[in-house]
Amino acid sequence: MASRVSSKGKGKAGRGAEDGPTARFVKEWSTWTMKKAKVIAHYGFIPLIIVIGMNSEPKPHLSQLLSPV
Amino acid sequence: MGSSVSHAAAPPPPPSPLPPAVGLAVALPSKAEEKSEKKVDYLNLPCPVPFEEIQREALMSLKPELFEGLRFDFTKGLNQKFSLSHSVYMGSTEVPSPSSGTIKVPTAHYEFGANFLDPKLMLIGRVLTDGRLNARVKCDLTDNLTLKINAQLTNEPHFSQGMFNFDYKGKDFRAQYQMGNNAFYGANYIQSVTPHLSLGSEVFWLGHQRKSGIGFAARYNTDKMVATAQVASTGIVALCYVQKVSEKVSLASDFMYNHMTRDVTSSFGYDYILRQCRLRGKLDSSGCVAAFLEERLNMGVNFILSAEIDHRKKDYKFGFGMTVGE
Repeated sequence: MASRVSSKGKGKAGRGAEDGPTARFVKEWSTWTMKKAKVIAHYGFIPLIIVIGMNSEPKPHLSQLLSPV
Repeated sequence: MGSSVSHAAAPPPPPSPLPPAVGLAVALPSKAEEKSEKKVDYLNLPCPVPFEEIQREALMSLKPELFEGLRFDFTKGLNQKFSLSHSVYMGSTEVPSPSSGTIKVPTAHYEFGANFLDPKLMLIGRVLTDGRLNARVKCDLTDNLTLKINAQLTNEPHFSQGMFNFDYKGKDFRAQYQMGNNAFYGANYIQSVTPHLSLGSEVFWLGHQRKSGIGFAARYNTDKMVATAQVASTGIVALCYVQKVSEKVSLASDFMYNHMTRDVTSSFGYDYILRQCRLRGKLDSSGCVAAFLEERLNMGVNFILSAEIDHRKKDYKFGFGMTVGE
């Protein structure tokens, strides 16, 4: 458990005595959120830029996105 | 002020537009009067450069993006703010190996990128064929507060890196707070002390290795030159000096001393910015000579040549490429 927590970069390492169940729950839940956020950022960042770009003025056409010219 | 007849020894006559003066005022050059009018207003100092860009001019001249192999970049603008980029690279990259220093591994990759550049929001994303994502976000939350995010995400676990920066720009100072993965926390502050001199300092803390450090930096710049010095508690002293010899030429030199490894490096370089090309070259104290040429063939078409010769390690790297698009 300590290695999983430290690998996610949390400042407070879970060494020494066991913290109460609430603190452990918060740590595990935040680790889960960071993992999911990393996957979402990994797959969704470039599509996000493309969506924001295609909706900016003046709106480019979809064919401009795909064609190499 | 005095009579028009000067009693001083044999002073040269003052320049005609000035009224006649006596004594010492005649011997001093007339420019002294102009200088005294431009009194330094310490309450109206210019905003300094950000702390991480304190050595910007030297880095631009001395550290061009040298590469080995073929590089082709194509940037296609769909919009004033939105553009896509396709980039192909074929060549060798250096991989550190435990046995014999670094070894060269032939690699080839295609990189797709999307950029959205707005005055308030900048999004840059680059994804490689092996799934690595390079993301940069810069967002102006208010007039003075900026959020910057820099991340390299990989498919392999535990190899991703990310950094969040909050920048605050004051009237004559800048402050920055950084948070990174692996429990990295840092802060830095830089203040203009005179119109030419700015002083700054930074602290950082690495959670996992329980390491912390503090550093100080000073930057003195005029129109013609920039001199910076940086000292850090990690035992690094870095000095650099850039002189703008003319509109087209600037010379830069750099000195770095690492107290822990007793490593000294010094380099000297030049930067020629001409109408059709930009040529940068540098010579290193570790026996390394490098040059980088960007030649503008046509509107939006640039031809790039890169060369790096390491005489000590007998390592010769040559690269060529082309960049199409703005």
